[in-house]
Amino acid sequence: MKLTRDELKRLALPVVIGLALAAAGAALIWSAGATRLAASRALAAAQAERKQAVERLNRISDEEREVSDKLAFYQRLKSLHILGEEQRLEWADAMTRIRAERELLEYPKYVVERQKLIHSYPAKPGSVDFFASTMKVNLALLHEQDLLRFLSDLRASGYAYYSVRKCGLTRTGQAASGTTMTPRLRGECEIDLITVLDRGAKR
Amino acid sequence: MFGLFTPRRILYFTAEDHYLYRSARGTLVLEAKFPGNDLGITAFREHLRNARGALFSVLADLAGEDFHEEQIPYVRGTDREAVVARRLAQRYRDTRLAAALSLGQATTSERRNERLLLASFTNTQQLAPWLDALEEAGARLSGVYSVPLIAPALAARLGAREERLLLVSANRAGLRQCYVDRGRLRFARLERTVEMVPQALAMFVRSETQRLVQYLATLRAVPRDGGPVQVLVITPTGVRAAFEQALHSDARLQFRCIEFREALEAVKLRQAPEGAAAEALFVHLAARKPPREQFASREDRRRYTLWQLQRGVVAAGAALFALCLLVGATRWFDALAARGDAAEQQREARVATQQYERITSTFPVTETTSENLRVTVTEFRRLAERTASPDDAFVHVSRVLAEFPQVELDTLRWSVGRPDLRELEGAAAPVAKPAALGETAVLVEISGRVNATQRSDYRGITAQVQRLATAFAASGYELLRTQLPFDVTSEGRLSGDIGGNESDAPRFTITIGRRLK
Repeated sequence: MKLTRDELKRLALPVVIGLALAAAGAALIWSAGATRLAASRALAAAQAERKQAVERLNRISDEEREVSDKLAFYQRLKSLHILGEEQRLEWADAMTRIRAERELLEYPKYVVERQKLIHSYPAKPGSVDFFASTMKVNLALLHEQDLLRFLSDLRASGYAYYSVRKCGLTRTGQAASGTTMTPRLRGECEIDLITVLDRGAKR
Repeated sequence: MFGLFTPRRILYFTAEDHYLYRSARGTLVLEAKFPGNDLGITAFREHLRNARGALFSVLADLAGEDFHEEQIPYVRGTDREAVVARRLAQRYRDTRLAAALSLGQATTSERRNERLLLASFTNTQQLAPWLDALEEAGARLSGVYSVPLIAPALAARLGAREERLLLVSANRAGLRQCYVDRGRLRFARLERTVEMVPQALAMFVRSETQRLVQYLATLRAVPRDGGPVQVLVITPTGVRAAFEQALHSDARLQFRCIEFREALEAVKLRQAPEGAAAEALFVHLAARKPPREQFASREDRRRYTLWQLQRGVVAAGAALFALCLLVGATRWFDALAARGDAAEQQREARVATQQYERITSTFPVTETTSENLRVTVTEFRRLAERTASPDDAFVHVSRVLAEFPQVELDTLRWSVGRPDLRELEGAAAPVAKPAALGETAVLVEISGRVNATQRSDYRGITAQVQRLATAFAASGYELLRTQLPFDVTSEGRLSGDIGGNESDAPRFTITIGRRLK
């Protein structure tokens, strides 16, 4: 049956209604699908959260033991001022003090480079960040033992964990004059001064 | 406009009067009655004035209806339409109201044919003005039917499953007899009746039935030795007993009677018009379950076809929407279930967290959380394990050198790092690949010279340096590289002045390493 122009006009409204119904149906399915997807994601997140909370609860006795074990160590780090912000003036004071106490021939020549973040460990409520500032130090020595004493004093001074990366001893070649103390060795070291920032700690 | 329950009007057309019925939701109401003359047509036109767009059918119950069986080649589509149209044109002068009913296939030895029952009215002119009136009024004509066309459907509704059946009913138009063969109409006739008592009507039914069966037998439509023909008689209400008494079965005819009231129930017609006879059953089925075959031309049914198309488009949209609604509802249900589960999981997580906090509140007071405490201490210890102090190395070097007084130390370099295999390969006296390679290790590089030995004694000097290197490879240290004063390896260059140049003591370099934990 071939439709006339008038008949096609009469078909227009039903076609519009039919298409509108089909579009509404498609929109309905899309909306319901999106809702279901969001609900599934929320469920997955809730399941993960519950699993984590239950596992943490189950581990609580281990955690209690761990807290007891580690608390002393943590407090030791705190008392040594390894935990906390970097305190460069304290390092300078320590250098001055060591030189004076050990009667070093020269004031140690040192340079501390810019602080850099070496590790950041995620934790709750805040991360635990490890920073390092590399110190390059040059010492005039009478004996190699002076270098070891210097390093030992430095470690004991606190305000950082002193991780020695490099250390070298070289003969100066200067002959002893007999009247003045002449350095026979030069010591050069590269030391990482490590500090830890616990961002979850109470201020 | 596209309503599912649009009432249908059926014009029951007899030789005298025409009755306009309205069928809606299982009821049949007589809307108007028109005489079969010009006055009736005028009244009908007047009645249609307010019925623009209404659905109409015409049900003819006329005596002059022709049935003729033909065979055509078995073809389909437009070819069949063309063949049928030609056969109808050959058979009938006016084909405006003509139909071809398929009776199935007939296979001969030569070819396959289709059997057709051509049907039309001997006088179509009596119907034409009424159809024109419908056309002019803009009514939607769904079809023009005759009572015999409806008969197979009525027989099925009345539970008649017989292969050959005569359906007999007393209509307003007269006594209608329809012969149905295997569910398909084969022949029908209408015999006019007058008012008579039930017994007389029953006798009339019997005599007319016997006549018809005899006629069908001469046409070979009924086999002569095929057993008795089943006759289903629709009797007026309350006179069944009288009919059963008169219509006793014999070898040729086997009668079964059903009352009009029972027939109404069988066709699910809840309410029939006052005074209606058996034609109400046909009218109802013409409205509710019309057969595919009918007499009206495609042009006469154009408005109805367009209406069906409109409704079909909307219905398809609605069906699609309903399907989407179903799918959407399923997804919504899933989403609701997931939300419920999520809420339950969150509640359990909250309970566990509260319990955890309650228990941890009894822990020793710390300045940080348990997790931060653990991370800080664990990671600090790990870092400390990867660091070392030069003290041990210096002590180790001092002890070894004490055993070699002829060796003088120039430089000592201590470092923490990974030994570089490429650097070691450049050594004059490389050693086997040490275990410390590739891992963080303490590396000690010792450079010095051998005194108190003639430079020309290159064998002696080489042996002393090798002994020294072996001595360093102790206390957990491995020998990584030995740079001898003289290159005596196959890869090196041995020159004629080895052991010459007495001014400078022979120098060596030894690198040792120790793995960190």
